[in-house]
Amino acid sequence: MSLVTRPGELSRWYLPGILSGLVFTFKKMVSNIFNKKKMPTLNYPEEQYEYGPRFKGNHVLTVKKDGSLRCTACMLCATNCPAQCITITAAEHEDPTVEKYPISYEIDVLRCVFCGFCEEACPVDAIRMGPEWQTAAISGSEFQYDIRQLAYRPSLQGGVESRVDEQERHSSGI
Amino acid sequence: MPKITINGQEVEVEEGSTVIEAYKKLDENIAHYCWHPGLSIAGVCRLCMVEVEGHPRLQIACNTTVQDGMVVNNNSEKVRDTVKWGLDFHLINHPLDCPICDQAGECGLQEQYMEYGKYDPEMAERKVKKRKVVDLGPTVVLDSERCILCSRCVRFTEEVTETNELGIFNRGDRSEIGTFKDKPLDNKYSLNTVDICPVGALTSKDFRFRQRVWYLKEADTICTGCSTGCSVKVYYNEEGAWRVKPRHNPDINGYWMCDEGRDVYKFVNKDVRLLTGLQRKDGQNQELPSVDAAKLAGTVVRDELEKDKNGVALVMTGQFTVEETQSLVGTFAGDLGCKQVYHWINNEDSFDSFDGLLLRGDRNPNTKGLEKVLNDQAINNTWADLKQKLESGAIKTLVVAAPENPSLFPDLDEKIALFSKVQNLVWLSAAKNEALDGLNTNVWQVPLKTFIEKSGTYVNFQGKEQPVKAVTTIIEDALTLTEVAGLLKGSDVNVTDEAQKMTSLKYNYFTQKRGNL
Repeated sequence: MSLVTRPGELSRWYLPGILSGLVFTFKKMVSNIFNKKKMPTLNYPEEQYEYGPRFKGNHVLTVKKDGSLRCTACMLCATNCPAQCITITAAEHEDPTVEKYPISYEIDVLRCVFCGFCEEACPVDAIRMGPEWQTAAISGSEFQYDIRQLAYRPSLQGGVESRVDEQERHSSGI
Repeated sequence: MPKITINGQEVEVEEGSTVIEAYKKLDENIAHYCWHPGLSIAGVCRLCMVEVEGHPRLQIACNTTVQDGMVVNNNSEKVRDTVKWGLDFHLINHPLDCPICDQAGECGLQEQYMEYGKYDPEMAERKVKKRKVVDLGPTVVLDSERCILCSRCVRFTEEVTETNELGIFNRGDRSEIGTFKDKPLDNKYSLNTVDICPVGALTSKDFRFRQRVWYLKEADTICTGCSTGCSVKVYYNEEGAWRVKPRHNPDINGYWMCDEGRDVYKFVNKDVRLLTGLQRKDGQNQELPSVDAAKLAGTVVRDELEKDKNGVALVMTGQFTVEETQSLVGTFAGDLGCKQVYHWINNEDSFDSFDGLLLRGDRNPNTKGLEKVLNDQAINNTWADLKQKLESGAIKTLVVAAPENPSLFPDLDEKIALFSKVQNLVWLSAAKNEALDGLNTNVWQVPLKTFIEKSGTYVNFQGKEQPVKAVTTIIEDALTLTEVAGLLKGSDVNVTDEAQKMTSLKYNYFTQKRGNL
């Protein structure tokens, strides 16, 4: 079975090809005028497409209850990242129950392939792929997302709380 | 010598050795935590179980002496099951810290779990919580929860350093490693406890959280921190070197190395290195490629030699390989005909001291090699002679093969003040030196390679020749002393990188260079 549909006999000639194209366009125009709901185009940016809940958009770094970063700087996301776009610098935290935390967490979004492997590798639900996908910027350096952008950008309204709670983990004896 | 059969292979071992040593001799896989070839036998981890034919029960390989005709195996289902249960007991109170644990990637528990474990934990009880981030001393941090009480570190402080700082306190599942009150783990060999810890209980303050070990490559080299010349492994990535660990060498260092030797990675990294050639002429500083700087310095030296045979001198330190020393001293004494070569001894009063284990007062890796080269060339000049000539102004041009590790030269500033009495100073060094930027003399600085960037031979205090290979290139513009010697005498030198610079996608060069689109 051929997967390619060859153009019909008529379209091999000039006028029949043009006319059949015009007929198709005209039909669509008429049907769009009388049935606007079926029209597939959106009036972006007034109208926006809604993606499913599992859509892999821009990264979000989650926070703990107190608002500090959930990330433990284990670098599993950076290790797992096929595009190698994650750069983390770890440091020692004053609090011995926290021990290790990132002083810098950078994602080069232009390099990112939005595969979601970072989300899968994370043992503490510290990084998620969020619903946002409009990532326009003026200069190239704005695509290098840092902690402020990943965890505390205005659209996140103070940060998304992680599902993994350290206190709960400790009290359940893990 | 008794012959025994291990997993079907026959092997002859020394009288009185243990079964685990026979396993190691054959390079057969055997699980173990507490046994270490450099320490006494404790037999506490119960993981090196083997099946000995004729014995009804399994034996521990580390404390079973070899007998002639013994037939041993550790690949039967019975042994694997026992090891699995032993491992399960080790993991009862071990926290799930792997993401923040520095040992992850080189951890004994992870290795044995992948080999024997892969079970769902059957322990319903809660884990016993212990102290975390305990400051044991100036170099080591303890995490009691992660400790499996193999007692390797305790035996190390008992048997090797004989300082007895560490001990196991309390009983049962509350036992933990600790130090005595007001007696921190503070000896010159304390970081060896971190190396021998099979889990992440003891971590080094210097390396803690700085890199994940799977981002680092390791290569064999020798420590250039003192004249002992311990065999070491250096761990590096494309940014530079990150840590140094000892490598077993029965003739020199055994299994250990000193804490000061572990700092040798610090002076090879970019932040303290001379990056390009520098020229300071008539009070003006100018950067130029290292080859050009060496060529300019060469013309100055040769011009001076034409005017006055005694106007040029060379100062050597024992920091360079034999080959480099030979070529530079040979160039001066042979091709250029200048016999004024002097040996700069850095810490004269402590030069012959020895701490009893490894660390020697002579903090140069190749003093013996330099002395031999000077003897071969029949050069026997004293430092007092040089000092007198410098002060009287008899020497106009001075070439100094300066130390790559300036921290070991406490008299550096004093010596620079002495050297600056000449008109032209040629400073060959791997290290950056700000004191030279403000001198009134003309200075040519040529960046050199450090010990991990070049191949060569070091001769240690015993007279033992130790060849090393180039590991990686950190400063691309740096030269070896051999290349500098060629450039100084005016010949064309092909400058090649022996070790390829390590490149990786991990550091995103494209992003760094992109800037504004």
